[in-house]
Amino acid sequence: MKIMVDILQLLLLILGAPLVRGIIARFKARLQKRRGASIWRPYVELFKLLRKEDLTPPTSSAVFRLAPVLLFGCTVCVAAFIPVAHVSALLGSRGDFFLLVYLLGLGRFSLSLGALDGGSAFGGMGASREALISSLAEVPFLMGLVALAILSSRADITGMVAWTLHQNIFNISTVHILAFTSLAMVVLAETGRMPVDNPTTHLELTMIHEGMLLEYSGPSLALIEWASAIKLHAMLALLIALFGPWGMAAGGSGWGLATALLLYCAKVTVLMVLLSVIESAAAKLRMYLVPDFLGVASAVSALAVIFTMWVKR
Amino acid sequence: MGLVGIATEKILSSFSVFLFLTIILLAVARRISTSVLLFSLQSAIITAEVLATGFQEKLASAYLVGILIFVIKVVAIPRAFFVLTKRLKTVHDVKASTTPSQSVFVVAVMIYLSYAAVHSYGGAVRAPGDSLAAAIALILTGAFLMVSRKKALMQVLGLLVMENGIFLAALLTTFGMPLVIEIGIFFDILMGLLLMGIFMFRISDTFEHLDVSKLRRLRG
Repeated sequence: MKIMVDILQLLLLILGAPLVRGIIARFKARLQKRRGASIWRPYVELFKLLRKEDLTPPTSSAVFRLAPVLLFGCTVCVAAFIPVAHVSALLGSRGDFFLLVYLLGLGRFSLSLGALDGGSAFGGMGASREALISSLAEVPFLMGLVALAILSSRADITGMVAWTLHQNIFNISTVHILAFTSLAMVVLAETGRMPVDNPTTHLELTMIHEGMLLEYSGPSLALIEWASAIKLHAMLALLIALFGPWGMAAGGSGWGLATALLLYCAKVTVLMVLLSVIESAAAKLRMYLVPDFLGVASAVSALAVIFTMWVKR
Repeated sequence: MGLVGIATEKILSSFSVFLFLTIILLAVARRISTSVLLFSLQSAIITAEVLATGFQEKLASAYLVGILIFVIKVVAIPRAFFVLTKRLKTVHDVKASTTPSQSVFVVAVMIYLSYAAVHSYGGAVRAPGDSLAAAIALILTGAFLMVSRKKALMQVLGLLVMENGIFLAALLTTFGMPLVIEIGIFFDILMGLLLMGIFMFRISDTFEHLDVSKLRRLRG
């Protein structure tokens, strides 16, 4: 029974990911007074790409073909650590938050290698920018999670969530607000959203994530697109699980699970609206201002870790 | 009664967190208008704390002080700032001499220092340690803003942030000063703002900029 719930949660994260993307695109379109495409369009695009031929550059090696598979595998593993509607996950306490952060890192690493192997100039440029941003985002990501781990004295994500679930919703602690601020900034940088990277552009000078995908086509491109959608959904679910898990089911009753699922949908919708508002309101930062943006996130997360000394709750 | 009681308790116990957040955002802000809005938000949080203290300690004069703060610091002073920036036709940049991440690190160190300073008085005052630390952090941040921002407008804003901190410290340790003194202080702030506004017009008339780091030589 429990393992069924866990598998269903993982499937929700994986299969719901393109929908999340579609809904965000729709919200953005509405905010910009456009009608926007259907929210199911990312699925259609994935099917279309999966049926196409996989073209590879003549100079590329096996790394180019393997990179999307490795990226997809890492991202699915990350999703398997995150509880959605029930306080458990398929991989649950089999790994701590360090594993989660570095699985994401491994995915990025393999994608950068694949982009370099493709041999185009834009691929190399995108890969070097991605490496810069991910190395800068690693510090606030880890420190924000460390602060929460110290507070709950657990190292696995499900343990932290279970601890937060027992706290009073109104007694927000300083550490939680600071850690949320820094992790929200990290999520924007990690998933390549607006102030750091523009997910809709293919302008040579500004693209980061899109630059790495230029040489990919067919099923490989579908895997990469799907993986980045899963990453976005998993990061949103991680924010919800760490900072707003109230309403999650702890027992095994069907009703509890159903309400928890509904609440989860509501919370994700709130986050998606916030994300689309940020993306419509903010301008993309210049490349040289991105370290400042992430530096602020690091400072806030360092403050969160320091505050765990004073706040004993 | 019950609901209001719970609300006041929560305001007193956890609103200082939001004060820390406004402090950090003030360190990051690049535009004068953002800083002014943040100051207004900060004053609104302090207003809530004043009203909560008044409710808890059953002080009628605290309500009056709360209304005064709301009218002067949340509405009037930010409005005056916006009018000033418009009249002075100055650029929106605050001209920080530190990068945003450096400022955040400095502010983080200040918050840590204020916690360390307050720590030993934990049992002596009835106020929660968080809020007292927030008051001291506000004073330090105000001073830091005055030192590190080159625009003359930001020095006034730094002074106001410091004043907010002093006011909060007084509120937490003594449950507010007598009403006459409070009114006197508010009058002082208003007069100060008026004088500094005149000063800034003079500066921008004679030097054609508001950059205090360039005020080297005298002009008649």
